Amino acid sequence: MTTHYLVLSALLFAIGAVGVLVRRNAIVVFMCVELMLNACNLAFVTFARQHGNLDGQLIAFFVMVVAAAEVVVGLAIIVTIFRTRRSASVDDANLLKY
Amino acid sequence: MGETITFWVLAVVSVSAALGLVFSRKAVYCALMLGVVMLSLAVLYAVQDAPFLAAVQIIVYTGAVMMLFLFVLMMVGVDSSDSLVETIRGQRFWAMIAGIGFAVLLALAVGQAAIGDPAGVTGANQRAGGNVPALAELIFTRHVFAFEVASALLITAALGAMVLAHRERTRPRPTQKDLAKARFVSGYPGPLPGPGTYARNNAIDMPARLPDGSVSELSVNRVIARHDVEDGRLPDDPELAEAIRQAAAEEEEHNASIAGPKEDR
Amino acid sequence: MNGAIEAPTIEYGQLMPMLLVFGAAVVGVLIEALAPRYLRKAIHVPVTLLSLAGAFALIILQAVRDGVPEQASAMGAIAVDGPALFIWGVILVLAFISMLLINDDDQFVAQAAAVPGSPEEEDAVAQGGAHTEVYPLALFAIGGMLLFSSANDLLIMFVALEVMSLPLYLLCGLARRRRLLSQEASVKYFLLGAFSSGFFLYGMALVYGFAGTVDLGGISSALASVGGQDSLLYIGVALLGVGLFFKIGAAPFQAWKPDVYQGAPTPITALMASGTLVAAFGAVLRVFWVALGNLDWDWRPVMWAVAILTMVVGAILAITQTDIKRMLAYSSIAHAGFLLIGVIATGDAEQNSGSLSGILFYLLTYGITTVGAFAVVTMVRDAGGEAGHLSRWAGLGKRSPLLAGIFAFFLLAFAGIPLTSGFFGKYAVFAPAVSGGALGLVVVGVISSAVAAFFYVRVIVLMFFSEPAADGPTVALPSVGTAAVVTIAAAATVVLGVFPQPVLDLADQAASALFIR
Repeated sequence: MTTHYLVLSALLFAIGAVGVLVRRNAIVVFMCVELMLNACNLAFVTFARQHGNLDGQLIAFFVMVVAAAEVVVGLAIIVTIFRTRRSASVDDANLLKY
Repeated sequence: MGETITFWVLAVVSVSAALGLVFSRKAVYCALMLGVVMLSLAVLYAVQDAPFLAAVQIIVYTGAVMMLFLFVLMMVGVDSSDSLVETIRGQRFWAMIAGIGFAVLLALAVGQAAIGDPAGVTGANQRAGGNVPALAELIFTRHVFAFEVASALLITAALGAMVLAHRERTRPRPTQKDLAKARFVSGYPGPLPGPGTYARNNAIDMPARLPDGSVSELSVNRVIARHDVEDGRLPDDPELAEAIRQAAAEEEEHNASIAGPKEDR
Repeated sequence: MNGAIEAPTIEYGQLMPMLLVFGAAVVGVLIEALAPRYLRKAIHVPVTLLSLAGAFALIILQAVRDGVPEQASAMGAIAVDGPALFIWGVILVLAFISMLLINDDDQFVAQAAAVPGSPEEEDAVAQGGAHTEVYPLALFAIGGMLLFSSANDLLIMFVALEVMSLPLYLLCGLARRRRLLSQEASVKYFLLGAFSSGFFLYGMALVYGFAGTVDLGGISSALASVGGQDSLLYIGVALLGVGLFFKIGAAPFQAWKPDVYQGAPTPITALMASGTLVAAFGAVLRVFWVALGNLDWDWRPVMWAVAILTMVVGAILAITQTDIKRMLAYSSIAHAGFLLIGVIATGDAEQNSGSLSGILFYLLTYGITTVGAFAVVTMVRDAGGEAGHLSRWAGLGKRSPLLAGIFAFFLLAFAGIPLTSGFFGKYAVFAPAVSGGALGLVVVGVISSAVAAFFYVRVIVLMFFSEPAADGPTVALPSVGTAAVVTIAAAATVVLGVFPQPVLDLADQAASALFIR
């Protein structure tokens, strides 16, 4: 059963990574990153059961704390740039090309 | 057996929701799909003897994080759907290939590893008298420093949101008296004239005529006027069309004054 | 229930430098909350600078009085060993001088929430508004750097990574001029940073699945005892590597560096280019030497490729740049490649401590020179802010020979010309690498330094041997802080270039006992 859970987590992680690469809306890109973090948590919880120690569950808990803080900062930054440009597309963020 | 059924149902649900997150064009759908993934994972945590995490997942992720996402989406405009134009040619194709390759690699790596039967966390839970006390013991002993340092993250997040979003008032707030004065000074103290709906048309975008027969451009909503001009829906009467065009031009000007950031400042 | 939890032991004495920095950051937040606006800066500056200096003094006290601890502190979460103390010292020195730059007025936005170019912004500028929140944010970032470089398990490393990064994401977006560029840099840095920390985390999950623990020492001992799950380990290590390489800006994960360095306010760029790089190398060394030291035959070939690619990309792309900050960013990428040579050159204990001491010395010399170079960049100004474009720097040597001379000297130090600190830095890393069997890498390193030197010399020629433009940039009269930064950096570059022995000895001493497990 462990393998099943791990394959599921790997799939979710890969889908999230593809989403980051193909989506253009900064908020959606960020949601895909959150999907990746969730996939990591599933792997941690699964491995915790596999090894019979609670470190994995504990790490998953910390990941949630970190993700919550990250979401606040990230969305604040995205809202700021939206207010300036009226667009949340990463394509419009192209001033730094050389 | 029960676990197997739960797993397969939720696996299908969460993977299709994840795919929906990547492929649906509307950002709000994406957020809802992400919510579905998070809820399914919460159930999978509960199945895997992690009741505390299941609760935290629902409270923190679906409760707080997803709400924040939705909140921001509503703020920046729900209709902000993604463009499907590729800016880098072939990027989407290669990203897919890379993603599929990556997924296969990860799945093979996981499948290859000779993983035995799970030890189960029941023992670890029982030693401390339950899942929550067992986690508490770990948090407050071995990983106490990580726990303390996480507070720095939370302070940073609060401070960051304040810095980026809190706008200090640089001018005194206009009182009712100021507003009333400004209104009379503007030369048009009354309410704006209503649109010409039902006078000659049944549309709200038609300007009204004043008692002397002249067209009042103040009577059309500028935003609607701009849409009319953009979509070419102007009335045949040249006088009315001119009024709508003027209102649209005013709207453009207004927009430019808000969103026209000066470069190199 | 079986009673109360036994209280953990925390070695407050050993952790005091880091706790002091975090404490000062919290005090900074309280100042924001309680002090009146006109007093805030006057309180922040002494609190920030004194806490950094105090933390540095505590490190020296610790090293002289108590010696280096033999065991990990805080229940095994943090390793305050010789290299950690040295790296802490380096980070604090770099943070202190970067902080002098941050103090400089006119670098940070008057009101971040006001849309650029709007009447609100003009009002805020006219009223002299300033975000004094940058002080606590920078202190949090510095505290995160200290923690990142001394983490003894992967969990604390991950938390430290975020503690270090989140304030930097925010600070990147607060430039006073060219605000659109700055906000864009912030979004890019944030999205890519979060993406890479996702990879770090999945790598951590797989390594945890392999070893059953995230303790670096525990992972090391699991390498020998666990069998049949190598695929988990290899993929896990690769993903951990992606996260760490992103932070040091190694190719092919370097793309964020030029954009972010260019867009961020220059004092923050100085802090990132020096402090973050030092801290990230501390973490790289811990992961690859402490946890995966016995796996070096497996990661070495990959690391070779990454190091070569990083040096080549850094050196060659630097040539095509036309913006001074982007050029320094590519130079920082190339330097990350040189440092990776040191990471690869492992062997027996003696070899390891030689390489480690070289890396420590290089980090110090490179960091100080970088802060100095960015300090010079803040002083060359146009009407619209800093004059970034290289063509604007033409003839600077005729208009302001002293400043141009100092900048030329920093560039020569980057190139590794003898009599500058850069020469001994490169020598200290390359010499152990040759004895460690990484001769090929050293050859690539020397060639790419030569390529980079070509570009540095071109900038120097541009500054001294071409006619200044009529409407060229002015050299701002430096504030006391900026002048002090340039002086300190120039002096350190000279002293470490002429008389490096005491510091080399100190690095040797710090590296002699290697990392504790």
